[in-house]
Amino acid sequence: MSWLKKESVLVPIDFSELSYQAIAPAKEFVESLSSLKLIHVLSPLHPADPAAMWDSPSDDERKQKVKKFMSEKLSEIGFDNISIEVAIGEPTGQIVDYAAEIKADLIVKPSHGYKVAKRFLLGAVAERVVRLSPCPVLILK
Amino acid sequence: MKQDLLRLRQYLPKKMMDLRALGLIVLSLILWDVVISPRAAMAQDAAAPGGFLGGIEAFVQGIVDILNLIFYFKIGGENGFPFIVLWLVIGAIFFTFRLKFINIRAFKHAIDVVRGKYDSAEDEGDVSRFQALAAALSGAVGVGNLAGVAFWMTMAGFLGMSSKLAECTLGQKYRVIKPDGTVGGGPMYYLSRGLSAMGMAKVGQGLATMFAIFCAIGSLGIGNMFQANQAFAAVSNVLPFLGSLSWLFGLILAAIVGLVIIGGIERIGAVAGFLVPAMAVIYALACFWVILVSLPALPSAIGTIITTAFNPEALAGGAIGAIVVGFQRAAFSNEAGLGSAAIAHSAARTDEPVREGTVALLEPFIDTMFICNLTAIVIVLTGVYADPTAADLDGAQLSAASFAQVISWFPYVIAVAGFLFAISTMISWSYYGQQAWTYLFGESTVNTYKVIFLACVFVGSVVNLGPVLDFSDIMALAMSLPNLMGCFLMSGLIARELDSYMSRLKSGEMLPESEPARSVVLK
Repeated sequence: MSWLKKESVLVPIDFSELSYQAIAPAKEFVESLSSLKLIHVLSPLHPADPAAMWDSPSDDERKQKVKKFMSEKLSEIGFDNISIEVAIGEPTGQIVDYAAEIKADLIVKPSHGYKVAKRFLLGAVAERVVRLSPCPVLILK
Repeated sequence: MKQDLLRLRQYLPKKMMDLRALGLIVLSLILWDVVISPRAAMAQDAAAPGGFLGGIEAFVQGIVDILNLIFYFKIGGENGFPFIVLWLVIGAIFFTFRLKFINIRAFKHAIDVVRGKYDSAEDEGDVSRFQALAAALSGAVGVGNLAGVAFWMTMAGFLGMSSKLAECTLGQKYRVIKPDGTVGGGPMYYLSRGLSAMGMAKVGQGLATMFAIFCAIGSLGIGNMFQANQAFAAVSNVLPFLGSLSWLFGLILAAIVGLVIIGGIERIGAVAGFLVPAMAVIYALACFWVILVSLPALPSAIGTIITTAFNPEALAGGAIGAIVVGFQRAAFSNEAGLGSAAIAHSAARTDEPVREGTVALLEPFIDTMFICNLTAIVIVLTGVYADPTAADLDGAQLSAASFAQVISWFPYVIAVAGFLFAISTMISWSYYGQQAWTYLFGESTVNTYKVIFLACVFVGSVVNLGPVLDFSDIMALAMSLPNLMGCFLMSGLIARELDSYMSRLKSGEMLPESEPARSVVLK
């Protein structure tokens, strides 16, 4: 089955359980964990957020904290040493851009990360990723 | 636009099952209320009311009437106390007594804390206490407080210090530190988390949602259209040629605010954050100068302020009317009891919630008691108060005319200050409103809120606001309903926290390094 294996598979993580659960099926497509890439997209701070007004924490500090937080969570559920990217901006654009940058062969994503009550607003990210992605997208149901 | 909306309305019921459509309905209703109807109001000024536009205005007016009936229900007859204002007064008095005059007891300590005497680098949070105070103050100091029913505003400010301490203490205690190290806090969080810790999860959720709805809509009035309107009045006062160019002013103002909140140009926000305290100092110095120039008349000026407080000739409803206006203006000015400042104060780097609360109690003092009283004294001292030609002036115009008696170029400073205050207040409130919006709808639609917000900046500068402003004013005051309700329910906890803090402070064990670190909450 090795002809099915992918070089680079991207899994967007939004801290929801569903998004972490997407790692296992994504792993099926790769030879080793090193071909698996995760991305989390932070939203930009509102300029009147005290944190933004005084640049404390700065964007870099925010990214570092999220990386640390994610790698702790990942080793809890048994995935050590997966590469983690943290971007700041609009989720769809950042996910698609990063997929192009790492020449991803596949994006694996749950249809919506949040609970059903918020579905009508957040399922949209999965939809837009499908539309704009440079590579095939596997939407988990 | 109205046809688009009509079509939208016909289309929507078919898709009702789709929740996405529900979101659209909510948005269109908000657009309806906020964007369309002011135009309706304007059209009505120009032509006879009637037809579709007249219908819309009547519709908004109808909502305002119903809201007035609920929130402005007058207790004690024709000239009685509107319910929502009474609610704010009761809240402020309750916490002043419940916390045993903490507004006096903790005053010196608050100044020590702001000066950094108790800072510790290991505390969890985003920014220092001074920075959080500056952020919250730049939201609170607005053109509104250049006017005054000064005596009652002073009383309201004094009592409001206690409710401010209560809400900001809770804001710190129940804030959430997110994985990226930023802080989420404010009434949405302490109402839901705090009350659920007391076994009232359902009540907490309900109050938090209620608060978020009021805050998201209220931010478009008190923190936006009202500010834009006042800024235009202050600037066109010294630049009369702008009088007929309100659309241009509106566009410029919306562009500046848009650069900050959509363009993410944080510098403007930071600059406003610095300039506002500086302007407040310049303003206070100018007031002192005017007072110094006519020092012998000072006692009689203060006498006038106090006698008119109890026997106002100009105000309908006598002393009660003055109290109502004073407390209402104070609430718009220092936001005590509304819960908005708790959003900014949650970000302060501290592990003692009460300490942040004591910092927050300085806000009503600086903003309402200090600045407002100075303004009132200047207006009375310079004689503008008694000048019949000034009878039509209000707010910023009145204080500009007063300063002009002594310092001829000062109206320009007031215009600049008014403009800056308005911008910084709008930016702060767009943050509060956005937090509330995010709580209700999630992060992915914040741009919708921002667009609505900018549209309101333009509308606020251009039109005579009428029922729309009434509507959002009521919403802003209504924020105090869920907020103070939650604070009442948690007042035992606030008092315990405060007692423990004050006894540790007295015993001298509260040295910066010896504090135990609180556990970090991850969302």
